[in-house]
Amino acid sequence: MKSILTNLLLITLFLGPIAIAQEKFTTKTGVVFFEANVPSFEPVEAKHSNVSAILKNDGTFAALALVNGFRFEIALMEEHFNENFAESATYPKITFKGKIQNFNASEVGDEPQEFILDGTFNMHGTDKQVSIPIKLNRKDEILYLETQFILKPEDFDIKIPKVVSKKIAEEVTVTVNLKLE
Amino acid sequence: MGKRNNIIMMLLGVLIIGYFAFRYIYHDHRDIASEKPEITVLASELFSLFTENDPSKILNKTVEVTGLITETDSTSVILDNKVHCVFLNKPSGLSTNQKISVKGRCIGYDDLFEVVKLDQCVVIK
Repeated sequence: MKSILTNLLLITLFLGPIAIAQEKFTTKTGVVFFEANVPSFEPVEAKHSNVSAILKNDGTFAALALVNGFRFEIALMEEHFNENFAESATYPKITFKGKIQNFNASEVGDEPQEFILDGTFNMHGTDKQVSIPIKLNRKDEILYLETQFILKPEDFDIKIPKVVSKKIAEEVTVTVNLKLE
Repeated sequence: MGKRNNIIMMLLGVLIIGYFAFRYIYHDHRDIASEKPEITVLASELFSLFTENDPSKILNKTVEVTGLITETDSTSVILDNKVHCVFLNKPSGLSTNQKISVKGRCIGYDDLFEVVKLDQCVVIK
């Protein structure tokens, strides 16, 4: 009887930490900001505060942003973005699927650490493969993911009409902040 | 005298056109809180609209949804595990298992978490 109890105790001691370790880190309210400003023209920028993302323990990463959720300062710009550029009625979401190279959640500490995230964006019905540097750090059981990278409208077959092309930068800077828990 | 009148008329015309152009370019954002909802449904009904039917007619539309709060965080609640509602200003005192109706803008279906997402929500009751 005693040995069974000791065995049980040993098993719980060994299995305990495995059971506690998180399998995945998620958010439904990630923040994505993009800007395509041209000096001396109206700022072209938008913020999305409801981006979903899932990071699994093996480094598999998926994110989803509903196009309609991008908010612009100027209402008309938001309408044009949805109707003419992103065509959100036909392509309602932007997705990313990929994997963080050499990722191990338990090795991520307080200090931001660089990783490379490989994967594919899908936007406007078009795929684009990328490899982006990201920074990860961890406080308690929360992983913070931070990154900034550049995308081009032409990568996603988005054509900017001549009339406005001077007012929109060819390179769009995207900033991502995720609090994954 | 007639010449001066013409100039004044032209200036006036430019001003009026300018005013309407400005009004068009800088018109306000939609105020979801004051819009009449396109549909009034249960959380589960909104969910099946997206999973079983063509959702394009409610995309970007104002909807009113009723359900039981199954999850809450600092900016949002989830109704019946099926509809994620993000508030403009989240009211205090919302807790799980409470039945509420919210009005918000439907921004689409999130197939990572399998929820319909609403933003700019306000509590109706």
